[in-house]
Amino acid sequence: MKHLNRFDQWLVIILIVGSTLLYGSISWLINASNSGQRVAIVSYKDQEILRIDMSIDANYVVQGTLGEVFIEVKDQSIRVEKETSPLNICSIQGWVSSSLVPITCLPNHILIVIVAPKEGDIDFEVK
Amino acid sequence: MNSKANVKNMMIITMLMAMSIVFHLIEPVLPIPVPGVKLGLANILGLIALMLFGIKTMYAVNLSRVLIASLLRGILFGTGFWVSLSGVLISTTFVALLYKTNKFSVVGLSIAAAAFHNVGQVLMIMLIYSSVFMIYWMPPLIWLSIPTGLLTGILATGALQRLRVSK
Repeated sequence: MKHLNRFDQWLVIILIVGSTLLYGSISWLINASNSGQRVAIVSYKDQEILRIDMSIDANYVVQGTLGEVFIEVKDQSIRVEKETSPLNICSIQGWVSSSLVPITCLPNHILIVIVAPKEGDIDFEVK
Repeated sequence: MNSKANVKNMMIITMLMAMSIVFHLIEPVLPIPVPGVKLGLANILGLIALMLFGIKTMYAVNLSRVLIASLLRGILFGTGFWVSLSGVLISTTFVALLYKTNKFSVVGLSIAAAAFHNVGQVLMIMLIYSSVFMIYWMPPLIWLSIPTGLLTGILATGALQRLRVSK
């Protein structure tokens, strides 16, 4: 690369290696602690508003900052089906079945994370 | 003569600030194939400020960009503002540290700025949402920041060559 000097190249290598190691470590750690994951936690402005049993195919609606956020669970996967936001990033993200991948609707302040279940986890369901 | 040069420098810095605010405002509407990823065109102006006037001016250009653009978009002190501010503060600080070593080119500094901007943003999102899971996004964003930083670095180098010729 003619635009990069020796130090720039080292910086790029450090960034790639460092971020890859970080990615591998996170993947390993979360996979190790989340075997048998079945519960999705939906939070609004850092407050948990819904726990979803991932084994049941269903649709849910929660209220976000810019409007209603429609959530769908199917075949142990979850997605934001529809929401109101400038770029619709979280609905474009599509289906998620791994606890490694949170769904973040930043303009709506909605966060969906899949975690390992605990006893009596399902508080309520919204149909 | 000295005051003339001061006025000229002040005008250039003001224009850099104005252009960085414009880039910051128009960038979200530019079509990028990867959702949530931005080119970071506003970083070009911060780098030009660094190379022409030094570290303090780079801080001034970058911080004023976040403050004024957030004010214009009506999100001052909202979530987006804090995410932008943390990204800018961390990236500007790292670029300043690397610049002081005198070992990195403009392109290298641009890549560092892009990468650490993402690091700062993810750290702030982790803090706001109290979720360590968000760190999962950091490595892919760092990978993507390398080509975007390379592009903005090349653009900044070209702009600097023209600016120095015209000076």
